[in-house]
Amino acid sequence: MASTSSQLETAPATGPSPNGKLLVMLTPLGAEAVGAALDNLGRAFSGQEVAVAALDASSDSMASLDRRYPNLQMLQDTPGAAPSGGWVLTAADFFNLYKTAKENESSGCVLLGPESQSLSAEAIRGLADAVAKGADLAVPRYDAGPREGLVNSALLYPVTRAIFGGRPRYPLAVDLGMSMRMAARLAAVAQKFTAMNQNDALMWPVAEAAAANFTIVEVEAGKRIFPQPESADLNTLLAHIASSLFAEVETYAAFWQRARVVPQLLRDALPVALDADTFPDVRPMLESFQLAYKNLHEIWSLVLPPNSLLALKRLSQMPWESFRMGDSLWARTVYDFILAYRLRTINRGHLLGALTPLYLAWVASHILLAHSGIDPEKHVEEVALAFETDKAYLVSRWRWPDRFNP
Amino acid sequence: MGHIFNLAIQTYQEVSADPVPQPGGPSIWDQMGGALHNSIYRVLSFFISLLPGLLALVLAIAIFTAIGFLVSYLLRRTLTAVKFDDRMARNRAVDISSSIQDWAPSHSPTMLVARTAFWLCVVLGFVVGISAFDASYSSSTRVSTFLLPYLTHSVGAVLLLIAGNLIARFLARSVLIGAVNAQLAYARFLSLGVKWLVLVLTAAMVLDHLGIGGNIVELAFGILFGGIVLTLALAVGLGSREIVSRSLERTADRMPQRPVDGPSRPSETLRHF
Repeated sequence: MASTSSQLETAPATGPSPNGKLLVMLTPLGAEAVGAALDNLGRAFSGQEVAVAALDASSDSMASLDRRYPNLQMLQDTPGAAPSGGWVLTAADFFNLYKTAKENESSGCVLLGPESQSLSAEAIRGLADAVAKGADLAVPRYDAGPREGLVNSALLYPVTRAIFGGRPRYPLAVDLGMSMRMAARLAAVAQKFTAMNQNDALMWPVAEAAAANFTIVEVEAGKRIFPQPESADLNTLLAHIASSLFAEVETYAAFWQRARVVPQLLRDALPVALDADTFPDVRPMLESFQLAYKNLHEIWSLVLPPNSLLALKRLSQMPWESFRMGDSLWARTVYDFILAYRLRTINRGHLLGALTPLYLAWVASHILLAHSGIDPEKHVEEVALAFETDKAYLVSRWRWPDRFNP
Repeated sequence: MGHIFNLAIQTYQEVSADPVPQPGGPSIWDQMGGALHNSIYRVLSFFISLLPGLLALVLAIAIFTAIGFLVSYLLRRTLTAVKFDDRMARNRAVDISSSIQDWAPSHSPTMLVARTAFWLCVVLGFVVGISAFDASYSSSTRVSTFLLPYLTHSVGAVLLLIAGNLIARFLARSVLIGAVNAQLAYARFLSLGVKWLVLVLTAAMVLDHLGIGGNIVELAFGILFGGIVLTLALAVGLGSREIVSRSLERTADRMPQRPVDGPSRPSETLRHF
């Protein structure tokens, strides 16, 4: 991983330059996919002048694109930070985006992540239009299946919504539209990571936008192929993502303790079709939770209060058919882990490792609820509402941790 | 102290006045008394000769502890003034500082730095004091050559013991959590095994450092360590043969393309990310 070769000027941008073009940047896709992605762009922006930066576009595909879509101007750019080529947008992507946008005096940016060839032209256009209409951050709302993006449903969405007040359903979206000032803010954060050779660090645009009081817009994006991580297992990835999110919560503690998040009514959940034939087997997840209850009780007792431990004990004794993890129990458990992360009650690696079985218990409960006929998307909304309702619990424990010590 | 010193001088004079018993002279009881007086004199002389060194040791520890308090206080004030904790939180990407803090959870970076400085001063005081103590005694006496190595190695031994305990606790938890997430039924057993392996290793190192036991400790440690490893190997090899083979088969099946699943691949249709 190369270090940054240049320092980025991240002074506050002064809004879109009137004559600047929109910049669309594609993260590395591979030679086959980049052609399809460029075709998509051509369809999305017919008749509009747009600058496109694609690192892995060959000269052939660029020449071909010039012939077919003369409104797309391909940029030859050297990235300031080596792209991590991961499955989510990373610090290097945000750093490179702003560098290119600034050099080309763009009016706004759209950053398309891995597998962006599967994103519809309408969705790309929607992101660009939202930025053009004055939004600082445009976040897509994907049409995902009931058993996809479960970490997002269990953790990322409810925590981001309750703590930062950001409503987007996919706070770690792999495609984003940004105003120049939003891109500048994210690049400033990204630069801290890239300067230390941590190009693959995760970024939380929704939290940054909320903390800066920027406008956030959600755009319907339809279906998309979600890029999947290849090498690591669930434990490692969950720890990586949760660690980054918890650190973000810690960083903006002063902001979210002041910000009042009023619990909102359930928003319209897109109905999700369930296929009863492919009902997943939840027993291994429940066995994992029961095994963890027997062995990790000592560690959990350092983090969780007695009433949560009692609730977990009851859960561990439930038959799998009637296994249900209460929304409030899950919300408070996550909040207790966030607090323990902040207080370093135990080693952070151990703490995040001890969260995995609890997450699996939530997944099992979510799937069983969906199987019993409850709309999974509605359940996710209820969980998010529980996080909002219990935010006072986190604030109290954050301010006076000793008062509630287990 | 003066009384003891007078007794020592008197004993010495009595013994030196009549060095060789003559026939018809002092009885065997007198000779035994003389020998006892001699012995008391020698021991008292030895302790008196140690007193300056001991005083220097205590003084060095006290002075350096006071310096440690002062340094710690100044560091705490300075770091609080420059908002060191906030800066560390902002620069959360610095993994090195984060991992250092993980060894001492529940303390802020400022407290960690201040306490580290304090304990470094205390240890330095010990080192200086023991060095002064070492210089003040006569190396010709038998008692000093027997006693002093323990004292001079005690600082290192205590540090070894603390480090060993920390590492044992850290590794035991790491193994426990890793094994539970891998759904191994004998997770606690593995964790305890690792913990005792490290503790036994630490105990052997401490004894070796102090020079106690010599070959017996090495031999006992070898037998005990080997026994624990053999027990674990037998437990895993015999008790979990089927689990291991199933796990290997599953891994072989998944080799071409491995999606991210739960610890034991709960379902084909679940996607966590």
